[in-house]
Amino acid sequence: MSATLTAPALDGAQVKRASRLPRLLSLTSVAVAVGLAVSMLVESNTVMSLLTQAVIYAVFALGLGFLLKQNGMVSFGHALFFGLSGYLVGVGASLTGSVGTVVVLTIAGIGFFAFALALVIVRVPGIAFGMLTLAIGQSFYVLVSKSRGVTGGADGMSIEFPPRVFGLEIGAFQDPASMFLISWLALVALVLALSLLLGTRFGPLTEAIRENEERVRFIGFRTLLPRAVVFAISAMVTAVGGALSALYTGFVSPESLHWSVSGTVLIMVVLGGSRTLWGPAVGAVVYYLFRDYVGEHTTHWMGIFGVSLIAVIVLWPAGIAGGVMHAVERIKRGSGRHA
Amino acid sequence: MTMTYALEAKGLSVRYGGVTANDGVSMRIAPGEIRGLIGPNGAGKSTFIDALSGRRATAAGSVHLAGRDITALGVVERRLLGLSRSFQRTSIFPGMRIGAQMELAASKIPDADADEVMRELGLDRFADRHANEIGYGDQRRLDIALALVGRPSVLLLDEPMAGLSIEESMKLARHLRELARHWGVSVLLVEHDMEVVFGISDSITVLETGKLLAEGAPAEIRAHPKVREAYLGSAA
Repeated sequence: MSATLTAPALDGAQVKRASRLPRLLSLTSVAVAVGLAVSMLVESNTVMSLLTQAVIYAVFALGLGFLLKQNGMVSFGHALFFGLSGYLVGVGASLTGSVGTVVVLTIAGIGFFAFALALVIVRVPGIAFGMLTLAIGQSFYVLVSKSRGVTGGADGMSIEFPPRVFGLEIGAFQDPASMFLISWLALVALVLALSLLLGTRFGPLTEAIRENEERVRFIGFRTLLPRAVVFAISAMVTAVGGALSALYTGFVSPESLHWSVSGTVLIMVVLGGSRTLWGPAVGAVVYYLFRDYVGEHTTHWMGIFGVSLIAVIVLWPAGIAGGVMHAVERIKRGSGRHA
Repeated sequence: MTMTYALEAKGLSVRYGGVTANDGVSMRIAPGEIRGLIGPNGAGKSTFIDALSGRRATAAGSVHLAGRDITALGVVERRLLGLSRSFQRTSIFPGMRIGAQMELAASKIPDADADEVMRELGLDRFADRHANEIGYGDQRRLDIALALVGRPSVLLLDEPMAGLSIEESMKLARHLRELARHWGVSVLLVEHDMEVVFGISDSITVLETGKLLAEGAPAEIRAHPKVREAYLGSAA
C-alpha cells in the first residue's frame, strides 16, 4: 500500500524538476544573448575592460555566495582559491604547453584540496569558521609572498602563455571584448550548472542543513559530507575566476590571495544578496560600475559606497536580488488579485 | 516465548560531569503501545529521550530496538532503523517550504509518503508555504510530521503539546493516539499536561531525580502513594 502511496510524491518532485528545466534553459538563452549584445554594442575598450574585470569577479562572488547560500557560512579567506588558482595556472603554463589541461587540473586540484580542508573546518561553527578561513588564507598569502623562487615573491609572477589555449588564440583571452564574452559564458554556464545541481536532492538537503543541522540528522541524513561538498564546489567556482583572471592579465601577485580581496568580494555578495545564485554576480557588477563612475568624480568613492551599502542593507536586507525578487512577487500578487 | 519489545532500555545511565541525570533506568515498550513518561522538572525525562535517540552519550546501560542492540549507533542510523523523535523546542526548517522539507525527510526512507503524513496532520494545505509563515500550533504539528515520515516503529515525543492551548493539546493528543494505533507506532510521550498523559497512555513511567519511581497502568500510577507524594499531589 505504501509503495503506491509513494508514487504521487515522487511524481510531484519529478514534475517540479521537469517544469524547472525549460525555464532555466530559456533564462540561460536570454543571458547568453545579453552577453553577446553587450560585447557587440560596447565599443569603448575601457568600458569593456571594466566589464570584463567585473564579470571575472562576479564568478568569484558566485563561488563565495554559493557557500553563504547553501552552508550559511561566511569565509574571509576565499581569495586563497582565487589567487592559488592563478599561481597554479602560471606555474603549470611554465612547465607545459597544454594550458587547457593545466586549468582543468588546477580547478579539480583546488576542489580536492578544499574538500579535505572542509572536512576539518566546516565542523567549526559561526565566527570561528570565518576566523579559520582568514588564518588559512593569510598563511598562504605569506607563503606565496616568501616563495620568491617559484612565485616571484612580492613582485608577483608574469605568465608566459603558449600561442593557443583551449583551441583559441591567447590574444582572445587578453582582449577585453572577447574575454568579456568568454568570462560571461563561463559565468552563465556556472550559474546554470549550480541551478541544476540545486534542483536535485542536494539543494533542499544543504538548505535544510543550513537551517537546522541537528534536525537533518534526526530525519536520517549525515551532514558533514554535504557541507564539505558545498565548500569544495564554492572553492572550485572561485578557482575558475582565478584562472580567468590569470588568463586575462597574464600576471598574478600575492595581493590576489590577501584577505582584503575576500572582504571586497564579500561586500559584493552582501550588496547583490545571497538568497539567489545570481545575486552575488549582480553585486560584483554594481560594485565595479559604482567604483568606476563615482571614482571618476571623487577620491572618496569608498565612503559614498559605504553609505550606499548601508542603505541597501537597511532597505533590502536580502540585497539587490532579494529586493528585485520581493518586488516581482508583489507585482505577481497584485496582478493575481486584479485578474 | 520471549516477547520482542519495540524499544527496550536496560539500566540506562547518563551523567553530566558529576551529576547523574539518569541512573540505571530500564523500560520496555511493547509494539503499538503508548507510554507516558512523567516526573517533576529535573527528573531526567528529556535526558532519557536524548539517550534513547542517540543525542546524548550514555555512561552505562543499553538501548534495544526490536531486539537489536543500537547503543553504539548514532542518531542517523537509529532514525533509519525506525527510532524517531520530536523536540521540546520546535525543531523544523523555518525558511523552507513545508512540502519541500517533508519530501526531503521522506526521500531517505524507502516507501515513505510525505503527502500522507501532511494530510493526516492537516499540513497539506500549507505545502507551498514556508514554515516560518504558519502558526505556532501548525509548526508543532510539522515537528511531529517530520518525525512521523516513514512510519517509524518508535516515536519519542518530548513535550509535543508545549505552548498549545488545552483544546489544541487534547485535539492533537487524540489524533496522535489514533494515528499511532492505525500505523502501529509505539510512542514514548513526555508531557507535563497530566490530562493528556493520563488520557492517551496505555501505561505510564514515573521518574524522580533520574531514577525510576513507578511504572504501571494510568489508574495504578494515579493511585500510587509515592507518585502522589512526589509529583501528582492534588492534581491526581
